Amino acid sequence: MDELTSVFVQESREQLAEMEAGLLRLEQDPHDADNINAIFRAAHTIKGASGVIECGFIESFTHKVENILDKLRNGEISVSGPLATLLLECCDHMGRLIDVLEAQQAQPPEDVSNQGEALQVRLTDFLSATEAPPAEEPGAMPIEHESPVEISGGGVVITDGWHISVRFGPNVLRGGMDPLSFLRYLASLGEILGMETIPDSMPEAEEMDPESCYLGFEIHFQTRASKADIERVFDFVQDECELRILPPNSKISEYLKHIEELPEDNMRLGEMLVRCGALTQAELDEALRQQAALTNNEDAGITEGDATEGHQAPQLGEILVEQKVVQKTLVDAAVGKQAQVTEKKAKESRMIRVQADKLDQLIDLVGELVIAGASTNLLANRSGQTELVEATSILSRLVEDIRDSALQLRMVQIGETFNRFHRVVRDVSKELEKNIELQISGGETELDKSVVEKIGDPLMHLVRNALDHGIEPAAVRMATGKPVQGHVALNAYHDSGSIVIEVSDDGGGLKKERILAKAIEKGLIQQGYNLSDQEIVNLIFEPGFSTMEKVSNLSGRGVGMDVVRRNIQSLRGTVDVTTQEGIGSTFTIRLPLTLAIIDGFLVSVEQASYVIPLDTVVECIELNDQPDNKHYLNLRGEVLPFLRLREIFGIEGEIPFRENVVVVQFAGQKAGIVVDQLMGEFQTVIKPLGNIFKHLRGIGGSTILGSGEVALILDVQALVQHCANQEENRKRNAGHATRLLESR
Amino acid sequence: MKTIFLVDDSATILLSISNILSKAGYATEKAGNAEEALKRFNAGVKVDLLITDLNMPGMNGIELIKEVRKLPAYKFMPILFLTTESQQSRKLEAKAAGASGWIVKPATADELLNTIKLVVR
Repeated sequence: MDELTSVFVQESREQLAEMEAGLLRLEQDPHDADNINAIFRAAHTIKGASGVIECGFIESFTHKVENILDKLRNGEISVSGPLATLLLECCDHMGRLIDVLEAQQAQPPEDVSNQGEALQVRLTDFLSATEAPPAEEPGAMPIEHESPVEISGGGVVITDGWHISVRFGPNVLRGGMDPLSFLRYLASLGEILGMETIPDSMPEAEEMDPESCYLGFEIHFQTRASKADIERVFDFVQDECELRILPPNSKISEYLKHIEELPEDNMRLGEMLVRCGALTQAELDEALRQQAALTNNEDAGITEGDATEGHQAPQLGEILVEQKVVQKTLVDAAVGKQAQVTEKKAKESRMIRVQADKLDQLIDLVGELVIAGASTNLLANRSGQTELVEATSILSRLVEDIRDSALQLRMVQIGETFNRFHRVVRDVSKELEKNIELQISGGETELDKSVVEKIGDPLMHLVRNALDHGIEPAAVRMATGKPVQGHVALNAYHDSGSIVIEVSDDGGGLKKERILAKAIEKGLIQQGYNLSDQEIVNLIFEPGFSTMEKVSNLSGRGVGMDVVRRNIQSLRGTVDVTTQEGIGSTFTIRLPLTLAIIDGFLVSVEQASYVIPLDTVVECIELNDQPDNKHYLNLRGEVLPFLRLREIFGIEGEIPFRENVVVVQFAGQKAGIVVDQLMGEFQTVIKPLGNIFKHLRGIGGSTILGSGEVALILDVQALVQHCANQEENRKRNAGHATRLLESR
Repeated sequence: MKTIFLVDDSATILLSISNILSKAGYATEKAGNAEEALKRFNAGVKVDLLITDLNMPGMNGIELIKEVRKLPAYKFMPILFLTTESQQSRKLEAKAAGASGWIVKPATADELLNTIKLVVR
């Protein structure tokens, strides 16, 4: 895919997300004009860009969507539930079309294009519905009453033409200028439809100076020339006359369009108005002069000490409107555009797009740096030179800072992931006919990008569960005296080096008796087993557990909570649930901030070092008088299966006098790992193993120690699994042996 | 027929402008410097428009405009000046001296004639 297309795909996805968010907001507040404009703009951008990359199928479909949004924007149609739903479906379809483009298919496959056609038919229905008699709908867009622009001494602009109001100064004639010649010249630019001579300033006959000019004119003028062209007619008398040129109404909408189309530069208000043709440079200069004069007066006032505090210098826009040079609508439009551009600029300047693999590369290098730094440190310490040790310790502190900053670069806010759920909650609650509101907090909490990518599915499962099983039907809620509207909340926050994500609902909560009964039925626990409430509710994460008798099409798709837990555990995170019957449940997911660096526990067997992820380590004990052939030991009355790394990895050598057992726990199962030496905690950068080592069981990655040695990171999950299997085999073999004995 | 008085120290400009004006149906009077022009105005030359350069050796265009304006007969005569500088200060100075308007050099024939039309009936 060429670069342009991939940029388009990315940009359109962003625009689409904005459009979707806007549409969802639209349902809450159908009269938010800014929001409607934003939705329109997003569609407009996608359409424009798809035209540029010549992707016809996206352009034509988006064009239809844009049409209806335009009507919406102009208040020709009003927001309704079905319309919002249709537009959301259109968003989805546009997403599918972008997928098609990304997959580099020339045309969408038949099913997609059929969907598109069906949507277009529905769009057309909405469009044609509006062509029916335009009944004034209550609640339609309020039309702001624009006070007509007045002209000093003249009437009000009624018809659609330019209105020129000119008052010649007294010295015009003496300067060799004849007012009549200006009017004649004006007539050469267009047609003077009407003209009124304004002799208001003409004095009594005895006071009149025949060499002075006292006349003014109100001219109704039709022309295709621009405002600047008209003004140029009066160029020579500019300083000596008062001139107002008011555009025809049709021209105003043209100006508005121009303002909309102006390039997104940092333009000043005046500049924008001049660029769109609504204001001439001379008018702007005059207004700026006035602004400067007023500001100076203010300053003078302040020094005199009688200025009202907080009184600001007048805005240019205000001056222009007050002077009746430019209509307020135009100033507002320009100010709006300005704000829009600044906002965009500000956003752009705050963000830099970087390819993720470049970041990964940087993190990788930083990892190398950490390792190299550690070995330098080691050597320096060994050399015993104090100065060298000091220098390297400063260096290693800086390296640590760099590592932290580099990891920070990969951090993204979780808000975007959260926001996707607005749509989910809306759609699902409609489907279930429940009234549910989603509350989001902590969206600004940051975590590693790769974690964010992988947390989406488990979160989706939890949210759907909360919607489906958590929140009770409205009737039940009413009966229990709860508000009909249910709440599902997503929350995220940092907690001592990890991030916590909570999915909570104010539904019925989990029913302990049913969970307990189910667990016994499924053989997960034994009858009469004593479990704390907390342990009972967390049984729902056990494989093969589902309390819902009826499988709905939302959750319960054969994917149980055990999958959620497994997914989260694969991110080295944990999940548990707290619940109060009748009040609600909260699922708490706890994740490490990053996947690139872990706290490890360093152990060794013979010469080789191994790292066990610290969060799986429960305790360490000494292995005493253990016969070689037994693979379990008595841990305070509990059977603890264990394995010897020496055996598993086929390490040769003398078994030392003292061996140690690291007790690890994964997914509720405990196992022991027998090693020679315990070397303590160690923060380490994970380096993935190459592809050729993929099939190795029991090893999850590698890292390089300060000494330059390689240490393998143990895959505790696989090792625990191995222990369990070994135990099973042993039992089976033991049974076999007994039978052999009996048969003898 | 309207008569236009041209003052410029450059013979080329005098000629090119007078050619354009003659073709457009104007009569022309010419002077190569301000002193000579002023002499002719003092003598009461009959013209409808004065077009003068600003930068000339000896008396400059602004002084010429001032002097001509002082003469009662030319109180209401339009005066245009030729300028290359679009500088506002220069224009204002000439306007204050009594000029009606200006023509920015280099001007096309149309620009020249349009400006003249603006001030001469």
